[in-house]
Amino acid sequence: MMRCIQALVVAIVLRVVHAALIELRELDSRVAKEFERMPEGLSYAIRTGHNGPSLYVQWDGRELKRLAALAAPSCALRIKSMPLSFQLFTGQMGLAQAYARHAFTMGGEVADVMRLARLVNLVEGYLFPKIMTRRIMTDVPETEVCFLRAYARIALGFLTGKYKLSK
Amino acid sequence: MVPYFEFQNAVKLLCGELSLERIAIELELMGASRPLMLSDAVLTKIGTLATVIKAMESEGVEPAATFTDIPVDSSLAVVNRIASFYREQGCDSIVAVGGGSVIDTAKGVRLVLSQNKQDILSLSGLDNLVRGKHVPFIVVPTTAGTGSECTGVAVIRNDSNGVKMEFLSPYVEPDAAVIDPRMTAGLPPKATATTGMDALVHAIEACTCQQANPLSSAYGTAAIRAIVENVEEATRNGSNKQARFAMALASTMAGISFSNSMVGAVHAIGHALGGVCHVPHAVAMTILLPHVMRYNLSHCGQAYAALLPWLVGMDAAMATPAEKRAEAAIDAVAALGRRLRDICGIPLTLKDAGVAPETFAHVAEVAVNDGALIVNPRAADEAQVIEILKAAY
Repeated sequence: MMRCIQALVVAIVLRVVHAALIELRELDSRVAKEFERMPEGLSYAIRTGHNGPSLYVQWDGRELKRLAALAAPSCALRIKSMPLSFQLFTGQMGLAQAYARHAFTMGGEVADVMRLARLVNLVEGYLFPKIMTRRIMTDVPETEVCFLRAYARIALGFLTGKYKLSK
Repeated sequence: MVPYFEFQNAVKLLCGELSLERIAIELELMGASRPLMLSDAVLTKIGTLATVIKAMESEGVEPAATFTDIPVDSSLAVVNRIASFYREQGCDSIVAVGGGSVIDTAKGVRLVLSQNKQDILSLSGLDNLVRGKHVPFIVVPTTAGTGSECTGVAVIRNDSNGVKMEFLSPYVEPDAAVIDPRMTAGLPPKATATTGMDALVHAIEACTCQQANPLSSAYGTAAIRAIVENVEEATRNGSNKQARFAMALASTMAGISFSNSMVGAVHAIGHALGGVCHVPHAVAMTILLPHVMRYNLSHCGQAYAALLPWLVGMDAAMATPAEKRAEAAIDAVAALGRRLRDICGIPLTLKDAGVAPETFAHVAEVAVNDGALIVNPRAADEAQVIEILKAAY
């Protein structure tokens, strides 16, 4: 039962992270810069635990598409268990801490994980309150716009079906 | 909450006099009889490789083939070429004789062969490989610095973009490492000093990064003490076997330490300086260490303070006020670098190493994508890396 609840929460947060990346690309200059430098076609697969929720995204040079699956992602992360995934995606553990605790395996180039880590840190700076982010990051990035603006755009995006699966 | 950590070192260490003569039996015990010898042109020229081969032949094992065309800054293409050569020659094991580049290249070759692949690029990643076919693999380090003989990582340059790629897996660890004092006896003073400082960086970063754990720190602190006590003597008097052997062991202990807790910004920036400006790894480490420690000070002062007894001895550490110990640790590291410079003239600034300030932006861009940065005690963006580079210039 607990695992099911954790998996549900992780599935929701994965969707929110994807949405936040799309919105923050327009709101935060650092996120925009990361996307400017991102190689066209770069893709990430994030899998959680055994048969847990997954997120597959690909940058096509214009937008970060969410896909149903990826046969050969540029960078494939697998979080080793559902409790670890839950900690990672609910602000109890940062990506650097996850690395330090051997919480995931990764196939692909380390540079692509570093790129993702910077993006996730920026996203978490908006999604989670400082009281949480201070515990999971050595240096919490300042937000460039009010976090409520990011939340509002994400909510609107979900309501309008903006983040649906791409073919 | 009890913090989670992992620790692994499966490398059998053959340490001390006449270790080289035991390589043959180790190969035999692993069922191997046709080793591929890997080394570089310099070690071939000065006879180091011949010493190892002679020791093996005296105990009945002759190399099936030898490959010595490994450059200082090896690449993925070299790894793939050697793997093909191994297959063509019908070899059944690998013996690598050299410094970090040779050993990391050999690790890459072993990975390609054990995973039955053609291109090492397909194997990059972190803890993502299943145990493949066993390819017996022995390394003989010829410097006392990289610690690569005991680490689960291979760092190899990607020719297409000049970036040093990391292959992190327990299956890159050799089966055995041979720490024979004969192997570092001819190491020139400058190389002795800078590779010794490289080992010091491994130990200090391993003890202070976010992945540090009690076991890795036990190895790291022991390595720091041994380096501080022996690196000057080994540099000044290369024929001192005790100092040479102590440095070789310190390097191995530092390698075990950082293999189980990672490194940090000194390595991230140093890898970038190597890739972009071709600064030798050990030289970059020597130059950057005190500057990165100063940058990190606000975030890991306690960890640096805890290293002071290992850097200056217990009496001197206890005589230092508690609030001054972290800075004293940094000062001790900087002072050691200056003493080594006075002995043999190693560069202590990026300017002396021939790095142009115009490259700093590119170096910083590469450095922030290096995996070593993720567990550094303090985050660093490109602007902050440039500030560190300016301080080191």
